[in-house]
Amino acid sequence: MKWLHYINFLLIFLFIVAICVLEEYMVSSSLELVQTSCYEIEKCVSEEGGLQNMEVALALENLEYNWTKNEAGLCFLVNHKSISEIGQEIAKMKYCLSNDDVELFMTGVDLIKLYCKSYMHFMGANLHNLL
Amino acid sequence: MLTIVLRSILIYLIVLLVFRLMGKRQLGQMQPFELVLTLIIADLATIPMAEVSVPVLHGIIPLLTLVVLHFILTLLTKSSVFLSRVISGKPTIIINPKGIDYKAMKNLNLSTDDILAALRECGYFSIGQIQYAIMETNGKISVMPKEESSPLTKEDMKIKCEESFLPITLISEGKIIEANMKIARLEKADLEKMLADHNVGKIKDLLIFTIDQSGQVYYQKMKGEGVSTKFGRLAKA
Repeated sequence: MKWLHYINFLLIFLFIVAICVLEEYMVSSSLELVQTSCYEIEKCVSEEGGLQNMEVALALENLEYNWTKNEAGLCFLVNHKSISEIGQEIAKMKYCLSNDDVELFMTGVDLIKLYCKSYMHFMGANLHNLL
Repeated sequence: MLTIVLRSILIYLIVLLVFRLMGKRQLGQMQPFELVLTLIIADLATIPMAEVSVPVLHGIIPLLTLVVLHFILTLLTKSSVFLSRVISGKPTIIINPKGIDYKAMKNLNLSTDDILAALRECGYFSIGQIQYAIMETNGKISVMPKEESSPLTKEDMKIKCEESFLPITLISEGKIIEANMKIARLEKADLEKMLADHNVGKIKDLLIFTIDQSGQVYYQKMKGEGVSTKFGRLAKA
């Protein structure tokens, strides 16, 4: 039965590798999608010159959709507290949209971009994170 | 709260699996790196148990990583004497025929009281009785007494003795243990007949009934004292 023992450890090792790869893939793809949505919002706001138009509302909806779609999956791999800020910022941006507060709305977009960038740095395996 | 309960069950099962994979060693038999591993595992398991925002995987992955690491370290220690000495250390003689090895004692950070306590645990109350005492890598002290202090054996007395056998428990708390019946190659009818022939009583009345290959029996009724006797040698075993 010694071979069974070796197989057990090999399976565990493969499971660990699979989880690491999955985390890397899920985090980068989800956050890149959110970042792309943010750039889309920025583009719409600069093109339209304000918030009170259909394009910005649709772009924000798209951002929210992209985030909520991946948030549940990320919760399996990432500390829930670390990723809750993006959801909070989206909620604030929706409020700004209804009040036509462009400055605060754009701050929200910048903050989400910053969160995404820092999360990607925080989650990757690099020397800074290791030490 | 239900989440915490379910998480606790899940992590408990995983820790159980981890310890099963690591082997059956007890605390006193652990090598230094195994003890460290056990302490880390205990600590790791509690984090995702109580903190709901932390994914369970954050507890499971480090646990499994440690299991794999332990497996690799065990393989290394088995494959190389040098690595085994680096990882687990080597046994050290702390008492030799000249007395306590002071240098070894200080290297191991032991006091004379520690050595005396360890010797007492082994049944020796004077260092004068000891030929050699060795500190093993798991922290236990093995003792070799001087010839005049070593226990008398049957071999010393030239007493002939019979081969001893491992007793098998056939009945426990009024129930037959089927797996052991197979080992003893006995049927329920054979056992009942054996009990009736020796006036032992019924199966359901017995607290314990053990027998070895030579036919040496120990039994105790639920309300009664233990009896040690000899039935016939087990024919089929």
